[in-house]
Amino acid sequence: MMARALSGTWLALVFGFMIAPLVVVAGASFGRGGRTAMIDFPPHELTWQWYLAIPGDQVQALALSISLALACALAAALLGVPAALGIVRGDLPGRRAIAALFRLPLQIPAVVVGVSFLQLYYIVGDVIELPLVGSFWGLALAHLFIALPYVVGSVVAILNRFNMRLEEAALVLGAGRWSTFRRVTLPVIMPGVFAGAVYAFMVSFSDLPVALFLAGQGFVTFPVAIFQSLDYDFSPSMLALSTLIIVFSFVVMVVVQRSIGLTNLLHTGGAG
Amino acid sequence: MTARWHLLMWPPLLLSLALLVGSQSIFLRGSFFADLRVGRLGSELTLQNYWRVASDGFYLSALWLTVRLSALVVVFTFVLGYPTAYILARMRSVWAPLLLALLVATSFVTIVIKVLGLVILFSPGGLLNVSLLWLGLTDQPVSLRGTEFGVVVGLMYFTIGFFVLLLYGVVRTIPRSLEQAAQLLGAPRWRVFWRVVVPLSLPGIITSALVVFNLCMGAFTSAALIGAGRILTLPVLIQRTVMLDARYAMGATLAAVLLLCGLAINLISILAVGRLKAARRVVA
Repeated sequence: MMARALSGTWLALVFGFMIAPLVVVAGASFGRGGRTAMIDFPPHELTWQWYLAIPGDQVQALALSISLALACALAAALLGVPAALGIVRGDLPGRRAIAALFRLPLQIPAVVVGVSFLQLYYIVGDVIELPLVGSFWGLALAHLFIALPYVVGSVVAILNRFNMRLEEAALVLGAGRWSTFRRVTLPVIMPGVFAGAVYAFMVSFSDLPVALFLAGQGFVTFPVAIFQSLDYDFSPSMLALSTLIIVFSFVVMVVVQRSIGLTNLLHTGGAG
Repeated sequence: MTARWHLLMWPPLLLSLALLVGSQSIFLRGSFFADLRVGRLGSELTLQNYWRVASDGFYLSALWLTVRLSALVVVFTFVLGYPTAYILARMRSVWAPLLLALLVATSFVTIVIKVLGLVILFSPGGLLNVSLLWLGLTDQPVSLRGTEFGVVVGLMYFTIGFFVLLLYGVVRTIPRSLEQAAQLLGAPRWRVFWRVVVPLSLPGIITSALVVFNLCMGAFTSAALIGAGRILTLPVLIQRTVMLDARYAMGATLAAVLLLCGLAINLISILAVGRLKAARRVVA
C-alpha cells in the first residue's frame, strides 16, 4: 500500500514537471497581459484576443514550417521505402554496412548539419548558379538528410518481421508482381512508413539550428520566429499559435495510436 | 527473382551519400585553412585552427562547459527518469497505457514550445518565483535565461521523455518472476530493486545515459534559447562564430571537434557494453 502511494506520488511529480511548460503556454495564451509584462500566468481574466490577432508574419512562418515538414515527410517516405526494401531484400554483400551508412546522419549534431550544408550550398550555388541558401528546397533537402534515417529504420524493422509466405501465396494465386506489392506488401509495411513519416515531420517541424543557418531574408520558419521574438518583440499571439501546435501534436498522437499503435512509433525512435 | 530488389536502393543511397560526403568534406576541408574572418579562408593548409582550440582558454572553457552541463543533465535525467520508467513498466493498472501515451505525446511537442513555457514559468513576476518568494525559499527571483541552471533544466526537457521510453523498454525485458523470487526469499523491496533490477538493466542504463549525453553535447535549441547569448556551449558557439562573426574556418574547426566528441562517446558506449556483456558471460 505504501509503495503504491509512493509510486503514484512520484509519477504525479514527474509528469507534472514534464507537462508544466505546456500548461503554462496554454494558460498564458488566454491572459490579457498584465501591467508590467505582456505575459500573464495564471491569467487574471480570460480572453480570446490573441487568437484573433495573430499577425500575418507569424501565420506565414507557421505555414512555411508546416509545408516544409510535409515535403520532408513525403520525400522521406518516397525514398525511405525503396531504400529499406533494397537493404532487406537486396541480398547484397555488406548490407549491414549499407544500413549503417543510412543511419550515419543521426550521428551528426544538427548544428554541424547546418554549418556543413551552408558551405555546401555556397559552393553548389557558385557552380550552377542556384541560390539554395534561403530557399525552400535548400532547407527541405537538409531536413530530408536528417529525417530519412527514421523512415529507413522503421520500414527495415517491419520488413524484418515480414512473413514472406504472404507474398508467395499471392504470387501462386496468380497476382502479378506489382499487384502483389501494392495489395500485400505495402499494406503490411504501411504502419512503418506512417511512423517514419510522422517522425520525419516532427524532425523538420521542430528544427531550429539548421533553419537558422539556411534561412534568408523574409524566409523564417516557426522555430526561428520564436527564437528571434524571445530576444526582441515577444507577443502573446505567439503563445496562441504555440497552443494550437500543442493541441495539434496531441491530436496527431491520438490518430497514431488509433491507427498504428504507439509501439510502431516507439520502434522508430532507435531508427532500426 | 530477388536479384532486382537492390536496384531500388541505389537512388536514395546515392542521394544520401552525395549529401553526406559533399557537406562533410567541404566543411572539414575548410577547417584546415587559416581563418581570415569575414568569410575568407587562407590559401595554405594548416593546423592552426585546431591548435587554437586546444590552447585558447576561451574555447577550452566552452568545451568543458558543454561536457559539464551535459553530465549534469545525464545525472538529473537518470534520477528522475529511471524510477519513472521502472514504475511505468511494472504498473498493472488501467492508467499505464494512458500515461505512456501522455509521455509520448508530450515528448513529441517541439522543444521550442517547451522552452517558451519554461521561460514564462520562471519569469521574474511569474507563478514560480512569486510562490518561491512567498514561501521564503529564496530572497530574489530565480532566473532561467542566461544561467547554467536554466540551460540544464531546458536540456532535461529535451532528453527526459526519450530516456524514460528507452529504459521502459529495458525494464520490460527483465522477467517479473526474478523479482518475485527474490521477494519470496525474504529480500525487502528496495533490496530487490538494488540487487536484481539495477544490475540487470545496467547495460541499458549505460547506453541510454550515453545517448542522452551525446544528445546534450550537440543540443542547440534549449542552450541557445535559454542561454540568451551568455551560456556559450559548443553548439551555440559554433552558430555564433559562423553567423555573427563570419569566421567560417574557426566554426568548421569547432564543428569538427564536436563531431569527434560524439564519435568518441559512441565508441566508449560500444566498448563499455561489450565489456559488461563479456563479464556477465564469465560470471554465468
